[in-house]
Amino acid sequence: MSEGNKNTNTEPWGGFDDNLIQRGGSAVIDMENMDDTSGSSFEDVGEMHQRMKDEEEVTAEAAATEEEGGEDGEFLGMKGIKGQLGRQVADEVWRAGKRQASKAFNLYANIDILRPYFDVEPIQVRNRLIESLIPVRMINFPQKVAGELYGPMMLVFTLVAILLHGMKTSGTVIREGTLMGTAIGTCFGYWLGVSSFIYFLAYLCNAQITMLQMLSLLGYGLFSHCVVLFVTYSVHFHSLFYLLWLVFGGLSTLRMVAVLISRTVGQTPRLILCGTLAALHMLFLLYLHFAYHKIVEGILDTLEGPNVPPIQRVARDLPNAITVLNATGKALAAGADAILTQ
Amino acid sequence: MGDFKQYDEDFYRTGYYIDDQGQGGYICDPNYPPEYQEGEGVCDPSMDAAYTGQVPGLAPGTMEYTAAGDGFEEEPPLLEELGINFDHIWQKTLTVLDPLKPADSSIMNETDLTGPVLFCITLGATLLMAGKSHFGYVYGISAVGCVGMYMLLNLMSMCSVSCGCVASVLGYCLLPMVALSAFAIFYSLQGLLGMFLALLVIGWCSHSASKIFSTTLGLAGQQLLVAYPCALLYGVFALLSVF
Repeated sequence: MSEGNKNTNTEPWGGFDDNLIQRGGSAVIDMENMDDTSGSSFEDVGEMHQRMKDEEEVTAEAAATEEEGGEDGEFLGMKGIKGQLGRQVADEVWRAGKRQASKAFNLYANIDILRPYFDVEPIQVRNRLIESLIPVRMINFPQKVAGELYGPMMLVFTLVAILLHGMKTSGTVIREGTLMGTAIGTCFGYWLGVSSFIYFLAYLCNAQITMLQMLSLLGYGLFSHCVVLFVTYSVHFHSLFYLLWLVFGGLSTLRMVAVLISRTVGQTPRLILCGTLAALHMLFLLYLHFAYHKIVEGILDTLEGPNVPPIQRVARDLPNAITVLNATGKALAAGADAILTQ
Repeated sequence: MGDFKQYDEDFYRTGYYIDDQGQGGYICDPNYPPEYQEGEGVCDPSMDAAYTGQVPGLAPGTMEYTAAGDGFEEEPPLLEELGINFDHIWQKTLTVLDPLKPADSSIMNETDLTGPVLFCITLGATLLMAGKSHFGYVYGISAVGCVGMYMLLNLMSMCSVSCGCVASVLGYCLLPMVALSAFAIFYSLQGLLGMFLALLVIGWCSHSASKIFSTTLGLAGQQLLVAYPCALLYGVFALLSVF
């Protein structure tokens, strides 16, 4: 690692120090986030800190290995050398593997790289929530998209909570799985899956949008879903749902579509990208309403209609039977009398 | 190692009393890297020793007793050995329950999981009395919720916080939910009154928890942002109690 510090600058004034970029301390070299609103330098501080920690760990382990090797050799004498050698080799292999694994883990699973995307104020979140329902008409130059993950993540969790509430009030039974697992899987699957798919299409259509911006855009678009589902799970009217679906769903779709159009060049790419996003967004809301709420509709129809519910046992119509019996009995009696009197 | 003696002496005197507010406790100063001042005599909240591998709440100083190999008469009482101090738990509970009292940052000093575990078991018991056997759900949601909040708080704040402290705070603030669940034994919460009570209790729990987190972690202007995920977590508990 220390060889990487060679000074390759030839200028007398020192030149640019590109250690931070080349030393491989982080997988994030995000030059596309020029219009990012987070603007914090935590990434650099985090990388340097991590590199210093790694170097300390390596030297500490090397020192520890040398010490242990020396002590054990002296203690065991000639007999234990073969076993000792084997043990040392195994130990060294284990340590090297652990070092590699922890480096890989720190590189890819370090949540510190996500730290700048959670640096928001409540008022910013509120403004972005409201703006997600307001389509912007200016599509001539790229519209700004907030690179933030707090709002979208909270909206996904809110959608999970609303779905759970809806499933509980409608008495939905999930046979293979749990309610919580289904709700979480559906919402996170939509957010991450559709974002990735649209990002892939955007890559094919040469649209200027990053994965983070796509996640943020789609996440804030779920605000309309939350509002519509919250209202319609409480007030059960199909016509109200369709109206809200068109109004709120439409507004948030238009907002996302306007942003994508402003960042894409060409009629066909715009059509493909925006058409796909609009279709998926609107259909997801339809799916959420009908998949988890149908049972309530069924029960309401059954209770309000004149028909007897098929599961219940229907009492036999005893008065009719008695009348028939009486009539039969009377007829038999009359017949018997007639025979006797003859 | 000399600090252990001090911890031992301060075990029952570590000011966790309502009258004792305002004593210097752990305050996360965002301008400081997370190194704590010497001579404070308080447990570092980011030190995981009190949480991983050891009995929860065990103060390091009490190890002296078990290592000594003394006779039966000289052994300390079991509760003291386990680090369970009911008086502390009661004091913390009263502090947390009062929504108008300003938060005392020293609540984050001790990773005390006894109170929270007791509250979770009580919640499960009250649900059982209402005819719902949901112990597994309570433990699972608590565990997942604690891990989620731990990750979120570490991402949002400059200071690092340990999972034990997060679990401790969330557990103490669960007490109003236990009261709601106890109320649900006698009166069904599936009406308008029930919904209103549930919303009130969720607000109370999340307000307490976010007050403590934002005061201690230096997230002064972001209390709402911390309160919302807490409200979602407590909302899931409320769903368990209501339905």
